[in-house]
Parts: sequence; structure tokens; C-alpha cells
Amino acid sequence: MKAMLCREWGEPGILRLGELDRRPLQPHEARIRVHAAGVNFADSLMVAGKYQVKPAFPFIPGLEAAGEIIELGAAVRHLKPGQRVLAVLRNGGGYAEEIALNAEAVVPIPDGMDFVTAASFPVAYGTAHFALTHRGHLQPGETLLVLGAAGGVGLTAVEIGKQLGARVIAAAGSADKLAVARAHGADELIDYRQESIRDRVRELTAGRGADVVFDPVGGDAFDQALRAVNWEARMLVIGFAAGQIQAVPANLILVKNISVIGVVWGAQAERDPVLVSRNLAELLRWWETGRLKPEVARSFPLAEAGAALEALLSRRYAGKIVLEA
Amino acid sequence: MKAMVCRAWGDPDTLRLDEVDRPPLNPDQVRLRIHACGVNFADTLIVAGKYQVKPAFPFTPGFEAAGEIIEIGEAVTQIRPHLHRGQRVFAYMRRGGGYAEEAVVNAAALVPIPEAMDWATAGGFPIAYSTSHYALVHRARLQAGETLLVLGAAGGVGLSAIEIGKQLGARVIAAAGGPEKLAVAQAHGADDAIDYQHESIRDRVRELTDGRGADVVYDPVGGDAFDQALRAVNWGARMLIIGFAAGRIQAVPANLVLVKGISIVGVDRGAESQRNPGLIAEGFTELLRWWEAGRLKPVVGKTFPLAEAGAAMEALLSRRYPGKIVVEV
Repeated sequence: MKAMLCREWGEPGILRLGELDRRPLQPHEARIRVHAAGVNFADSLMVAGKYQVKPAFPFIPGLEAAGEIIELGAAVRHLKPGQRVLAVLRNGGGYAEEIALNAEAVVPIPDGMDFVTAASFPVAYGTAHFALTHRGHLQPGETLLVLGAAGGVGLTAVEIGKQLGARVIAAAGSADKLAVARAHGADELIDYRQESIRDRVRELTAGRGADVVFDPVGGDAFDQALRAVNWEARMLVIGFAAGQIQAVPANLILVKNISVIGVVWGAQAERDPVLVSRNLAELLRWWETGRLKPEVARSFPLAEAGAALEALLSRRYAGKIVLEA
Repeated sequence: MKAMVCRAWGDPDTLRLDEVDRPPLNPDQVRLRIHACGVNFADTLIVAGKYQVKPAFPFTPGFEAAGEIIEIGEAVTQIRPHLHRGQRVFAYMRRGGGYAEEAVVNAAALVPIPEAMDWATAGGFPIAYSTSHYALVHRARLQAGETLLVLGAAGGVGLSAIEIGKQLGARVIAAAGGPEKLAVAQAHGADDAIDYQHESIRDRVRELTDGRGADVVYDPVGGDAFDQALRAVNWGARMLIIGFAAGRIQAVPANLVLVKGISIVGVDRGAESQRNPGLIAEGFTELLRWWEAGRLKPVVGKTFPLAEAGAAMEALLSRRYPGKIVVEV
């Protein structure tokens, strides 16, 4: 089968289309014919050798995919051949025509959901939901600040924040991006190229500050948000898409009883795939009732995975980027 | 009445014993005849002008005290109908005033104490034990079977964390400076000991936990000790920031927080007791029940008379004594 291979660490352009043999399936596994794969910021880190997961060379990037089941291990009971599914791929493998994985990480998708939408779904919605509910305990009526609000995971945080009954302040780097965030439910908008996150959040909350911060950006944006949070705020560290890793002064954490909380949804998926799959099934039901509207900005053919990653890194697009195989 | 007064920012020897007017009693307050006042690290900060609260001069430090009720405000029967003159109590005093013969305290903050609890123990009890209880029970949700690492384990607040950790069913690793302090920590229930004058906290915690790391870290020390502990925690660990007694405020690299799904949790129990007094009061109920059952053994490392409150603070800063330093009035 064809797959995009990484044979050494480097920029997205280092990926090459290669031909691989299928490996035999274990009894607890499923094999999926991949129709679409989600592209994530973490993929660029994995290819650069900067991710916490470092597979042996050559490896196939890609943390999420969607397609149909073409083979099942003998011990798998909950899936059927031909079933349309999505897959959570903690150790990569999505940028390929086929994937073989633990069947517990496979979730059936609704008939009305196309493969591109399905492939764009798990990482962004799974991460936002896990972060805001399990780690952030976002309550109705609280104020949620989403940084990078128009990115893949930012938009899903805006939507899920609204579903959880919060008031959502979206911060992003352009008027176009903020318009997308607004279309996905954001109540207030901050353009952080023109405005101070710290000052605007304080104004918008009559000085109190945000209760929960969802931060996939890091760096200066985090530093500003830290100075505009309420008593017992929960600051969710999702990633560092801005390229700078902030060092958090511990005294600022102490005086407001703040919690700074690291969120690694992928590791949760690895430790407890059954729980994560159950949460994804719940999120797919929300989708079916029209409560979630996945935003796919662009798709690329599998062979152009390098260009797809570069498009993601350019920050030009709002929403998810997807590969089609 | 006599009180130790601070009239300018400075070292502990800046304090002077003065005759001052009795503070006025508000309707929702109680006047205490103080018998003992606990000395806390925050006292040294407030006198130095380095605390997050900066009172107007002149002020009297002292955030906790034990004494008996000598006067009751007219609205108190509506808030706390069972309080009576002569009753023995302790209190956390958010606005200070403990280093004195008398103080006025909000009735809501008073906790009646058992007859068997002596004044020095009572004066040093509230802040250490309720901070540790609030931090471990509510902020960290320490579970039975988890591993708790206590830094500064022989200090006032550290020893209480060891004891409460054991009450909650955790395995407790105590880290302190020197064998004498570790002996006190182990006498209070610590399962394992790390001497950070000679050993690496990071390496020893990893060894003691087969590489997994601690589940909860209780840190009143900060600085290098925190940095080492951060590198010896388990997936999903909760690191409680209690204070920075070592003098350096650490900056926490967010990537280390991210990769193990750690939570860095600030614990300002003083502010919490203002926002959520019921929670703190419930904590005292459980703590005093444990004390009466003999499961907590508060340590008073040394006592000083009121006029020597400055020397008491210096004794605290010297780190020579385990447990609490208490001023007796």
C-alpha cells in the first residue's frame, strides 16, 4: 500500500510517498482502508523530531483517519467488515492508504458523515471536549477564553464551550479568523495582532478575568491570559503553536489559586482507549443533532502531505486541513 | 494593651513592643485574650513589605492565635449562637494582629478547641493544618495508595502535610535538609526520607517509585526543590504550590507540564477561607476529630515571649527548628 514516509527528521518537505507491505493483523486489531486523514500541528513536530512520541524510522505521520473496515482480527466483536469508521492513531499512521490498529481505538461514524469530515473530527473535538470537561471542569455561566480560536482545535473549543453553557471569548490573529470563530458561536472577539488580550479580557469581564483558558498557542498569548484570569481559574495548556514555550511564574499561580493544567488527549487515548472512544461516540451524536459544525478549510491529495503540513503551519486557514487517499 | 508593632518595612528586629489602644469591636466580631500566636513565614514577608498584602503603618503581624473570648459583638448570636465568654478558641486572622495581648476577630472565623489542647499547640494549629487539609483534600484530591512527596517536610506546614497524607492513605516521601529533620518527619509518619542537602530529589523519588514518580507534590519551599520534583512526577500528577520558603520563585516550563498531563495548582488558603469559609470550617471539624483521636501530633519546636516576637521570626528563618514556632502571651 502507499504511504507518506518520514525517513529522517526535518521540514514537511522531507516526506516521501513510498510503497509498504501490509503487516499481519493481530487478533485484537482492525484494518481500515483510509479515505481521509486529518493533519495536525503535532504531525509537524513528529516529523521534526520534536514530539514526545518518537517512532522508529521510517514512520508514517498522521494521528487520525477515516475509512472502511477491510479486515478484522479474530477477537474483535464490536465492528463489522465494510463498516464506516474513524480511528485515533496515537503513534501515527494516518498518512496512508491503509492502517492497522487496536480495534478499541476505532469508532463507527454516522451514515450521513462523509470521510473528510470524519477524519477531521477526533483530534480536534476529542481534545477540546476532554480538556474542557475532564481537565477544566468548565461550568455553565463561566467565561472561557480560547486562544488560537480559529485553528483546528480552537474552533472546536469555541463550539464545545458554547455547548457547555459558557460565555466564549475568542482570540485570534485576524478579522477573517475571528469571523469564523463568531460563526461557530463565539460571544466576544479579540484580535491579538491589534489588541492586548490582557486588557480586553479584563474589560469584557468587568475586571474579574476568564474562568477557563484553552491555550493551543502558548508564549506571549499565554503570558497575557495569565494576567486576566479569575480566582481558581483553570489554564489548559494544549500546545505551543506560536513556537515559544512559556515559563510560568509560580507566584502568579499561587495568589489566585490558579491551576495550570497540561492536556495530552493522545496519551489519554493510549491509556484508556475505551473511554476515549466512548467520548467520541458521544460527540458524534452531538454532530448528528446539529450541535457541532466541523470546519474543513482545505483538502490535499495524500501525495501532497508535505504541502498540506506547510499550509497548516502558514496559519493562513481557519479550521482543519485534511488529506484524501 | 501590649502588642508588637511594625512601623517600617524591615527585618524581624524592626518590631517593637508598644502599648496600643484596644481595637474597636464590630458587631460581628469577638474580642480574644490571646494566649499564643503561631509564627508563619508570611509574617517575615509582611514585615519586609514583600507580601501580597501591604497593611498601612503601624500594624501588628500574626495570622493565627489561640485564646479565650472576653467580649462578644451584638450581632454574633445571629452568626454563631453557641459562642460564649471564656470559651477557648483558635482563629485564622486574615488581617493579622496576633502578636498582641488581645485581638478582634470575625466570629465566623473562630474554631472552639478541645479542653485537652494546650495554648501553644492551639496557637500553632490553624494555618499549618488547614492549609495542608485544604491543599491535599480539595485541591489535589489525594487518593489512598497514591505517592505524596512533601518538600520542607519538617517545617510547620510540612509536618502537617505528612500527617494528613497518611490519614488519607497515601505513601509519603519526606524531603528535608539534614538527618535530624528527617527523623522528625519519619516520627510523624513519613514512609521514606530524602536529605536534599546530600541527595538529588529527582533521582531519589524516581528510585523510590520504580521510575514512575510522585502523584502529588506538596511544596512550601519552591525554587530548586520544585524544579527537581517537577522532573520526578507521574502522569497526571498534581503539584501544589504552597509557598517559596527557599526564597526563589520558580518559573515553570509549560512543556514539562504538558507532556505528562500535570496540574500545577496554586494554594492560597487564606484567600479561600474568605471566599469559602464553610469549606475551611468543615476542614477544622475533621482535623480536630483526628487530633482528639491521637492521629495528629502537632510539634511546637520552640516558644518565645511576646516581647521576643522578632527573635521568634528569626528562629523561623534560621530553619533550625522542626514544627511551629509559637509566641506565648
